[in-house]
Amino acid sequence: MALVEVENMWFHYPRARLGAGVEGWTLQDISVQVQAQSTLGIVGESGSGKSTLIRVMCGLLRHQRGVVRFDGRDIAGLSGRDAVDRRQRNQMVFQNPRRSLDPRMTIRRSLSEPVRALLDRSPDDTEMTGWLERVGLGPDVLPRFPHQLSGGQLQRIGIARSLSVNPTILYADEPVSALDVSVQAQVLNLLMDLREQLGLTLVMVSHDLGVVSRMCAEIVVMRHGAVIESGPTEVVLGAPATDYTRALLHAARAASLEREGAEG
Amino acid sequence: MLELDDLRVHIGGHEIVHIEHLSLEPGSRLGLVGESGSGKTMTAKAVAGLLPDEARVSGSVRFNGRELLAMNDRQMSEVRGRKIGFVFQDPARSLNPMMRVGRQVSEAIRVHSELPRAAVARKVVALLEQVQLPDPPTLMRRYPHQLSGGQQQRVMIAAAIAADPEFLIADEPTTALDVTVQEEILRLLISLSEQRGMGVLFVSHDLGVIRFVCDRVAVIYGGAVVETGRTEDVIAAPRHRYTAALLAANPGMPRDDNFRAFIGQRLHTIPGSVPPVGTFPSGCRFRNRCVAASEACTAMPGVLDAGDGHRYSCWNPVEGL
Ligand SMILES: Nc1ncnc2c1ncn2[C@@H]1O[C@H](COP(=O)(O)OP(=O)(O)OP(=O)(O)O)[C@@H](O)[C@H]1O
Ligand SMILES: Nc1ncnc2c1ncn2[C@@H]1O[C@H](COP(=O)(O)OP(=O)(O)O)[C@@H](O)[C@H]1O
Ligand code: SF4
Ligand SMILES: [Mg+2]
Ligand SMILES: [Mg+2]
Repeated sequence: MALVEVENMWFHYPRARLGAGVEGWTLQDISVQVQAQSTLGIVGESGSGKSTLIRVMCGLLRHQRGVVRFDGRDIAGLSGRDAVDRRQRNQMVFQNPRRSLDPRMTIRRSLSEPVRALLDRSPDDTEMTGWLERVGLGPDVLPRFPHQLSGGQLQRIGIARSLSVNPTILYADEPVSALDVSVQAQVLNLLMDLREQLGLTLVMVSHDLGVVSRMCAEIVVMRHGAVIESGPTEVVLGAPATDYTRALLHAARAASLEREGAEG
Repeated sequence: MLELDDLRVHIGGHEIVHIEHLSLEPGSRLGLVGESGSGKTMTAKAVAGLLPDEARVSGSVRFNGRELLAMNDRQMSEVRGRKIGFVFQDPARSLNPMMRVGRQVSEAIRVHSELPRAAVARKVVALLEQVQLPDPPTLMRRYPHQLSGGQQQRVMIAAAIAADPEFLIADEPTTALDVTVQEEILRLLISLSEQRGMGVLFVSHDLGVIRFVCDRVAVIYGGAVVETGRTEDVIAAPRHRYTAALLAANPGMPRDDNFRAFIGQRLHTIPGSVPPVGTFPSGCRFRNRCVAASEACTAMPGVLDAGDGHRYSCWNPVEGL
């Protein structure tokens, strides 16, 4: 059994007739499976529904048709303790670290928030120092505010925060696209290390095919609210079956510095 | 078309930018590349006259022979709307959250031309099509938060080129776009520059994107140009250690379709991080992070010439290939 199973799922935002996709559906008939401890990359056109899809999978948005199962159970039917449990095990890291942390709260406060909300207890500084260590930060950031930290530091805090409740699966929506190349490299290496150490499942949206093909063994290609191709990365990108995926690869190469896999 | 000489920006007693010299011909595209905090945005804003109030600027920024630094606010905003277009880094902060996106583009057209209402409306749709927005008549009625990140970024680009500027400053304009849309937008900027002679100052931290767009590049660190030259030359044979480190950190794409070998490959990182303003080391500003730093680097390196306008300032340059 897969950890996450999405079956024939349809989703639309409120006021469906905003013109997105078939008859106003933002996501149409999506089926995706995520195996435990695997890495899945989601790529595709801007506006194709990548962020919407992982928000539905993570339980932040409620779909209208079809089924989303987590660990074998339909997430729509969960309530009480089961729903909180599912939230704890599904965590999200957002694109813009500066906007995903409350600017008026200290890092101590933001960092402890998921544990307070989901596990109903207040972590102490020793515990939080441990979380920060995992992402390569020291306890000196605890009393600071977001504007006093760099984008890379904030993204590490975002990651530490998501990991604080020991999730099973981490969803990352363009986790490095707001960061410059050198910080990007640090954060991606960190995600690779943490994933291995903690046995996490990783679902990652990125428009950067170079990033996705380093991080993810499986890949889903989306277009106009639908999945048009999926499978192992080396198959989907190595031998693409659709013109769109070929165009994606062509464009990625045009604006990249091609690099030997095993170089350096 | 654009010439910077001895441009300095001070904020709070610290020198944030010091550009000795940079110039740009009509129809050409110059890239500014560096990590965040290296001074790219401040340089772009100094050219645009959009620095925060507390900043002090000196030196010279000439645009078609006119000194921009000598202009008053009214003259400058005239030049900005009509001659120089901008795309800023953060769509969420540059778009007005309370205004439908179509109106934001039409205002950019109307501020500087007297077109009748119907013509403006047609031009808005045409612009939104040019930036590859799907279904412009529908999307233009939405508010920014109802668009995806990449769609917001395209609205900003449409607004920036709405007044047919002679010169465009684009600060990380495609960071939220997927690669195919990014390629279309970059091609659009290139063709506007080639057909209409629009000059482009293109800011990015990604040398891959810079290579696609720009004929020349200036690598910025600590507010100063450390290496400059034809993009191909700088990428093929970087001399400054900072340029080489930036190139190595780029995620790139696997060569020869070898995706299997690429998975799980760690990236090269640059040691440490960009120091806050005022705390860069003396001499070469990169020396506390540089793998090749030596005693000599405690003194400021001079400018060396590798030919064809390829110049760099480094005591222990990467050997030519
Ligand atoms: N709050 C909202 N209300 C209505 N429509 C929305 C809303 N948010 C997104 N959309 C629309 O839903 C579609 C999918 O958006 P989504 O944010 O999932 O795209 P994406 O694939 O993540 O794009 P990007 O790569 O640009 O982030 C788009 O057409 C977008 O305009
Ligand atoms: N309004 C400001 N006041 C003081 N310092 C600033 C201001 N804006 C930017 N800086 C500082 O100037 C340096 C260069 O910033 P910036 O030009 O934005 O870099 P980049 O665009 O290359 O990321 C950074 O150290 C930044 O923190
Ligand atoms: S001058 Fe010295 S410290 Fe600076 S980049 Fe060159 S080798 Fe490194
Ligand atoms: Mg998105
Ligand atoms: Mg910037």
